[in-house]
Amino acid sequence: MREQIKQLLEEALPLVDVESEFLYSELDSLGVTNILMTLSEEYGIELDSRDATPKNLRNLDNIVRMVEQKLAARP
Amino acid sequence: MKPTLETYLSEHAEQRPDCLAVVCGGESLTYAQLYHRVRSRARQLHEDGLREGQIFPFRTSQSIDFLLTYFAVHLLGAAAAPLECGLSDERFAAVSSWLKGCPVASDTADVLYTTGTTGDAKGVMISHRAIVADGENLIASQGFCPDVAFVIAGPLNHIGSLSKIFPVVMTGSTLIILQGMKNLDDFFAAFQLPFSRFATFLVPANLRILLQFAADRLQALADRLDFIETGAAPMAEADMRALCDLLPHTRLYNTYASTETGIIATHCYSHDGCVAGCLGRSMPHSRLFITPEGTIACQGDTLMSGYVDNPVRTSEVLRDGTLYTSDVGRIDSEGRLHLQGRDDDVINVGGFKVSPVEVEDAALSHPMVHDCICTAVPHPVTGQALRLLVVLSEGHELRKRDLARHLLSRLEPYKVPQLYEPVAQVERTFNGKLNRKHYKS
Repeated sequence: MREQIKQLLEEALPLVDVESEFLYSELDSLGVTNILMTLSEEYGIELDSRDATPKNLRNLDNIVRMVEQKLAARP
Repeated sequence: MKPTLETYLSEHAEQRPDCLAVVCGGESLTYAQLYHRVRSRARQLHEDGLREGQIFPFRTSQSIDFLLTYFAVHLLGAAAAPLECGLSDERFAAVSSWLKGCPVASDTADVLYTTGTTGDAKGVMISHRAIVADGENLIASQGFCPDVAFVIAGPLNHIGSLSKIFPVVMTGSTLIILQGMKNLDDFFAAFQLPFSRFATFLVPANLRILLQFAADRLQALADRLDFIETGAAPMAEADMRALCDLLPHTRLYNTYASTETGIIATHCYSHDGCVAGCLGRSMPHSRLFITPEGTIACQGDTLMSGYVDNPVRTSEVLRDGTLYTSDVGRIDSEGRLHLQGRDDDVINVGGFKVSPVEVEDAALSHPMVHDCICTAVPHPVTGQALRLLVVLSEGHELRKRDLARHLLSRLEPYKVPQLYEPVAQVERTFNGKLNRKHYKS
């Protein structure tokens, strides 16, 4: 899943180093929105503004963890 | 002597010194404190050599420091030229150097750096008179008042957000400056500050983000939001209706404005109906009409004074007190303006206007690009996104990130396309020009 999310985000965010440990700092509001939209569409999960925290989007590993948790919580 | 924004600032500092002027992050200043620090900044700039009639370029920041510099430059009789914060150092130095060498019209307060339809950079001169007229237009038409704190989340070098400083300072209310809309927790926290009522300006893309990802949190502000103004890009009728439902007591405005025209007309869609493209009637200091070609022309005190050091381009759009835009529109039987598109190639990305020519010129300077065309594709949030179709040079493969970073070194971040596609050729017209119409269908 990590590799798949990495590819998705690289496609959606051409200017961002997806493997950066400081991924969140590279994002603007549209970048954050693109991540939420891309992941919710690809995995059929509901993401809202409360998920777009600096912690959840700090790096790729945290993003993967957020998606896994959302998938696990899905009814 | 006619009042300027700084006249109002000085009056508030004297007459209501303890009223809160600005809040940003953990810092806040009363009007007395703000004016004191503005004068101190002006002395510092004067010592550094800034004089009346000069242009002072500086990098925009979402901060109190921005306000200090902005007002201080005005106090010295110089022109403030706030530049995009994301400009590379090289670009910032080049633009600054160009602006510093340019003469400006008398009474110029601001020089806003924009990109034209042909890709050449322009400095739009805005007078003190235009600033006060913009402020009075907004106060009369939207109800800015001392009791309503105004939240600014957009970049302060763009007319949409910058122009909100004017009515706030003129009415002596409070400005709350945010670092954009990236962290929505910070955005919603601003509305928990100890003010009874709030107002804000958000481009349609930001409203879309709120509707899609934070509708419940927006609805929770229903009793505190006095009004929301939007503008700079088309807004979907469905989004207007959704906002009216979520915020039944909030006035919702869609405004017609641009750097060149100033603030011209506004439509209160929460009261007068959700009609996509409807921008209402002209404001007190403005008049507008439709030219025989179907484009919108504006008159009144809010118009720019011209383009810096470019009388030819100025005369193309500004003649005898009339500003001729490239916006196509009509005026209905009730005198309301309806925007129907643009008569040029400019692409509107979430309220930021981008010339495809400028993007293509920057891309062509990379060895991997043999030919290219920048086109618009639909985007669910920003309305349109940029796509670069690239004919690769022989022996090269498309390295998207390399090309994007190359463009970022030459352009503002919002002008860097999100999508890149290799193509065998780009369509051209019989005389060799890029066939943009082919890609619009």
